[in-house]
Amino acid sequence: MTSSFLPGYLDRKENLADLPKVTDVAIIGGGLLGTALAYYLSKFGIEVTLLERSDLNREASGTNAGSFHFQIALHQLTKNLTESEEKRLSDEVKLQLDAAILWDTLEKELDADLGVHFTGGFMVAETEEELKVLRDKQSIENKAGLETHVLTGDEMRSFAPYLAPDLSGIAYCPREGHANPLLVGPTYAFRAMELGAKIRTNCEVLKIEPLDNASPYRFKLKTSRGDISCNRLVNAGGAWTAELSAQLGIKHPMGLSGLHVNVTEPHEFFLKSMVQHIGRRLTLKQTPNNTFIIGGGWPSRTENYPRRYSNYWASAAGNVAVAVRVLPILKDVRLLRVWSGVWAYTKDFKPILGESEKVPGYHVAMVPTGFTLGPMVARTLAEYMHSPANKNIIPKEFSVDR
Amino acid sequence: MQEFDLVVIGGGPAGIAAATAASNHNLNVLLIDERSTLGGQIYKRVGPGFEVKDSIKLGADYLRGEILIKSLSKSNAEIMLETTVLSVEDSQVIVVTADNKYDSIKYKKLLITPGAYDRPVVFPGWTLPGVITAGAAQSLVKTQRVLPGSRIFFAGSGPLALAFPAQLSKMGANIVGIIEAAPRPGFVKIFRIARSLRGNLDLIRDAFFYQFHLVKSRIRIQYGRIIVSANGTDRLESITYARVDKNWRPISGTEKTVPADTLCIGYGFFPSVELFKILNCEMSYDESRGGTVVQLDEWGSTSLPNVFGAGDGTGVSGSYVAILNGQIAALRIAYELDKISEKTLFNLSKSIRKEVNLRKKFQKAINHAYAVKSGIYQLASSETIICRCESIPLKDLLPIIESTSDFSVVKAYSRCGMGLCQGRNCQRQVSALIAAKHGLDLGKIPGTTPRFPAKPVLLGQIADSSIRDEKYFIDEQ
Repeated sequence: MTSSFLPGYLDRKENLADLPKVTDVAIIGGGLLGTALAYYLSKFGIEVTLLERSDLNREASGTNAGSFHFQIALHQLTKNLTESEEKRLSDEVKLQLDAAILWDTLEKELDADLGVHFTGGFMVAETEEELKVLRDKQSIENKAGLETHVLTGDEMRSFAPYLAPDLSGIAYCPREGHANPLLVGPTYAFRAMELGAKIRTNCEVLKIEPLDNASPYRFKLKTSRGDISCNRLVNAGGAWTAELSAQLGIKHPMGLSGLHVNVTEPHEFFLKSMVQHIGRRLTLKQTPNNTFIIGGGWPSRTENYPRRYSNYWASAAGNVAVAVRVLPILKDVRLLRVWSGVWAYTKDFKPILGESEKVPGYHVAMVPTGFTLGPMVARTLAEYMHSPANKNIIPKEFSVDR
Repeated sequence: MQEFDLVVIGGGPAGIAAATAASNHNLNVLLIDERSTLGGQIYKRVGPGFEVKDSIKLGADYLRGEILIKSLSKSNAEIMLETTVLSVEDSQVIVVTADNKYDSIKYKKLLITPGAYDRPVVFPGWTLPGVITAGAAQSLVKTQRVLPGSRIFFAGSGPLALAFPAQLSKMGANIVGIIEAAPRPGFVKIFRIARSLRGNLDLIRDAFFYQFHLVKSRIRIQYGRIIVSANGTDRLESITYARVDKNWRPISGTEKTVPADTLCIGYGFFPSVELFKILNCEMSYDESRGGTVVQLDEWGSTSLPNVFGAGDGTGVSGSYVAILNGQIAALRIAYELDKISEKTLFNLSKSIRKEVNLRKKFQKAINHAYAVKSGIYQLASSETIICRCESIPLKDLLPIIESTSDFSVVKAYSRCGMGLCQGRNCQRQVSALIAAKHGLDLGKIPGTTPRFPAKPVLLGQIADSSIRDEKYFIDEQ
């Protein structure tokens, strides 16, 4: 492991300490968004208690591959590129760019090694049609301010000699990179605790009760470890965001999808940059532990919590075939294990962020491609909660009540 | 795609007996094994290039195995060797075959007889070259006729602690010492074992011959002693052992060090439960049968319809019980597929069941006499490597275990169990540490989420470009 936890982090007996009776802000969910929000709110001097039903960083925040996705990817595309689609994609690129700026300085901000590296990212094309998509997306990205290059032929082969020589072309984005997903959330939590935030694990919120005006608090949470009342509540429940909001009669335009991931044995390190495919489901990277992580959106089987989503053999065989096609050396590397994470997405691909107008005091923080955007989105929400008068910080289309 | 009435995974005693019986009842049977010869661990055949002129000289087990394998080859069962099972899904077994192709095979009924592997025991120096499991030493001897070293020390417990060094010694091995963790069997124990003897005389005969051989070769078994450390810089140079208390904890001040170049470790077996877990069969915990075991009914049926289990892979009970339980499962499967009547099922299974019960009585008495005690999990020092794939010492795990009782959390924070063996070596040890720290029952500590592949496999062997990724545009979902 090239990065490790901060000294003292793993000694977390405090997480099992008693629950406070009251708090200004209660955050439900100890994933990346919840922990980052706890940090940024604590920095503003706001009293925070974070409640996590199992342990920190155990779901999507800790089971994703830790990649920064700044290029426009396959899952964002529609079949035909209309003008309004171009506008949407351009907005999304700008959002990703803001996130890139945050990641640039996050290790300094948290004074910790988070395994952040900007090692570039490839987007490969197999057919001439796919190559055209690479060029179209490049023009949107460059206009929005994101540097990407399209390479073909010998130029491509000498730049990335390990990729299959017969690819029709590749896009390269130098800003892309990765962090260690096992470290980011826990480090935010650790720094938040230093600033006074209370983090409680093994604490499941069973019921959200809105309180009437006579009470000095707005919500009472019944948890597996007792009751806690709060002024403001943040739902950072990741895949379970909609389930929690339903208790207050709020619906979200979101869906869940199980994503299949493969991990291989270690292999001598050579693949610095992440590899994606513009026409097929593939993300591929070599980790600092020298293993390869191969994913890209192949499905897995839905199961009820706390059982984890289970895997389809076809997803492994299909996903691996795309990976071997693009990076032929992989055929001699062994598959060790597969796993599956739950990906929460919104139907319009925009974050759900901010305070509800229907239920004042109730906030939601949920974002697809949560690892890349999570820290930035959390910081934005913290800024809003610090000065709620400043409503414009959060774009209207992210509305919680939409 | 091929379809069979019955697919048997594993060509050891249970699998061979079941495949033979089922085939003889007119089922269309396929038996799969990952090795190049049948027999499993106990009846392991000699390796390629060897010719056996007189099977009797290779010992009773070799002969028994030969008889069993012969009866299978006389049946109509199909056999696929050098074929590794990766997963089971939708009534299909997913395999990689001898010619490096991946394939799925459909079944009506599935019998899983995966066998067991040696219990890993963690103590200072356990990863030094020269320290091997009894099973590994046995494989060297059985397939290659090679002795693992020239000064061999044996540390273990249970009947194997007697049988195995005797087998090695017969081969001409220089056994410099044997320690058994359990106390020397006293009157009560001998009585209990003797009481269970009816129908098990062959076992005692085996034991007698082993004992006789050891006495003849002047090899002394020291009871009530456990391995404390394996010592050496680049490889094993000496071993240290000590007397134990009743929980198998070493008593300090009683340590002895002996020069040795090979240390064989034989403290029993763990069932290979991976496929049962991938299938999501109901499991339970029984330390005396090897820990995590699959739940079976009296016919060997798991909690899932059409999936059966038999042999040591379902809980360690020895090869005799494995054969019988394999036969019972085969009868039940034949009945469920309308090949035999209910009456035949009961008549044929009755006498087998009677024998199983006698064998099990004996096994229980043995298990009682040699039950593994908690001290076996407390031998590591803070510098001892716990996860040998990822080189993680105990001291790195202790702080994490302070704050969680979830093995998966320990795994995520430390990489413990993420390597090639996927926790087969370290998971029980870490669970025992968790159990001790949080005052929990070892059997109640959940393991990691079961995932395929059951064994590592080359990506090139499973890549299937005929599987397409449809519907990937967001407006198509």
